[in-house]
Amino acid sequence: MVLVINGPYGDSGHEDHGHPERPERLVAAMAAVNDLDLGTDLVVVPSYSASRADLLRVHNGNYLDELGAFCYSGGGNIDDDTYATLDSWSIAKYAAGAGLKVIEELRQRDDGIGFVAARPPGHHALADRAMGFCLLNNVAIAAAELLSQGERVLIVDWDVHHGNGTQQIYWDEPDVLYVSTHQWPLFPGSGSGSEVGGRHATDRTVNIPLPPGTTGDVMLRALEVVAGPVIDAFNPTWVLVSAGFDAHRDDPMADLRLTSGDFAAMTNYAVNCAPRSGRVVFFLEGGYDLRALRSSIHATLSTALGRPQVSEAPSNGGPGVEHIARINSARRTAIEILHATDETETAP
Amino acid sequence: MRQFENIAVGYDGSSDATTAVAWALRAAHETGATVTIVHASGLLEHLRSRFSPDELPAALQLLAKQCSFDERRIRWLVSDGDACSVLLRMASAPIDATMLVVGSRGEGKREGLLLGSTSLEVAEHATVPVVVVPASYVEHAAVI
Repeated sequence: MVLVINGPYGDSGHEDHGHPERPERLVAAMAAVNDLDLGTDLVVVPSYSASRADLLRVHNGNYLDELGAFCYSGGGNIDDDTYATLDSWSIAKYAAGAGLKVIEELRQRDDGIGFVAARPPGHHALADRAMGFCLLNNVAIAAAELLSQGERVLIVDWDVHHGNGTQQIYWDEPDVLYVSTHQWPLFPGSGSGSEVGGRHATDRTVNIPLPPGTTGDVMLRALEVVAGPVIDAFNPTWVLVSAGFDAHRDDPMADLRLTSGDFAAMTNYAVNCAPRSGRVVFFLEGGYDLRALRSSIHATLSTALGRPQVSEAPSNGGPGVEHIARINSARRTAIEILHATDETETAP
Repeated sequence: MRQFENIAVGYDGSSDATTAVAWALRAAHETGATVTIVHASGLLEHLRSRFSPDELPAALQLLAKQCSFDERRIRWLVSDGDACSVLLRMASAPIDATMLVVGSRGEGKREGLLLGSTSLEVAEHATVPVVVVPASYVEHAAVI
């Protein structure tokens, strides 16, 4: 099976001294790809800068204008977390376009696994606002392309932070199922189990908030129990993974206790949600400890390709099992309330 | 006025935010409102916490004294999220703020910049009245 990755696009102009979201993250990601030693089974697609039309499927036009103008004026801090530089607008468009090219290649081959090694990450970016290190929502832009082709898209987001941007963008879209595992409480403060989607997409958002210290066994179990039935009913035709690796136990940005072996197990789960080969793409989101990032990406991609190479055993024994029933209960209640409200409003 | 029952004000440690808190405390002093001062804890704060959730920052304790406001009537919160989302959340349960107060510019923001303007974002999306306190405020406040 081939691994399809995006071509290089020169991300080094998007950096801010001392900031954890830095170009070296992509160096670590590409080192993980090289560690796979794939030879001719590695396919690198041409770089592509997302067009305005691509971006407008997800983002507000005024926001795009402001972001472009801000970057061209030299950039600076957008908020306490998020920066942009003179080059960030161009770089962000290449990061957004990378997923589109990888998907196009997988479609043509009808086989393989996709990996978008691009930055800045995207899952916090809202339709009209940058936040949480994110400028453009790369995975949402890729999902929009698939939607335009009539696909049903499952987005699995295992970054340690809730992907509030992706959730907001597809909140009321019945052909996108958004599933997120994340630490809670933690930035951005959203992602409770009771957030289940909008009126037209009830049960198309599945949040699995987990306490600090959670290990991989609990996370996987929560995915199976809470998200499993919803994914089965949704029956996706494509699976996009917002693959942040900051849930790793060595990551400085959070307090979960996963290992690279856990990401391999999560990968198996995600890949098995796809109808066939050539329908899964991993998008780099967070992950700020470079060694953990490299080993976790390596474990993820080698597992997805069916030749697992895992350097750390899966973790177990952490807290959070008791949260699973609570999450399901919160989901049920929220769905019942939404249905009851609908019935009240449609009653003669 | 009901708007002056329960005031929530954002605080990021900047001079603009301090000015906004001062306005909120004076308004609350005159109207008998309660005040919630909230700090949005961003992604980077996991690396370097700026404020303890357990204790009102010393600068705000001093400010309360200067405004003759009883510190015990202040609720201090550190909440996960970006400044805009956190302040908007204050208008919902359990805080149920009846007015949101924000400084015109936050820390590190550039003058005249629309992108990333917390005050504009809050004013656009809020469900309760919003007061944007200009950096130059001394006795008067601008109300949007």
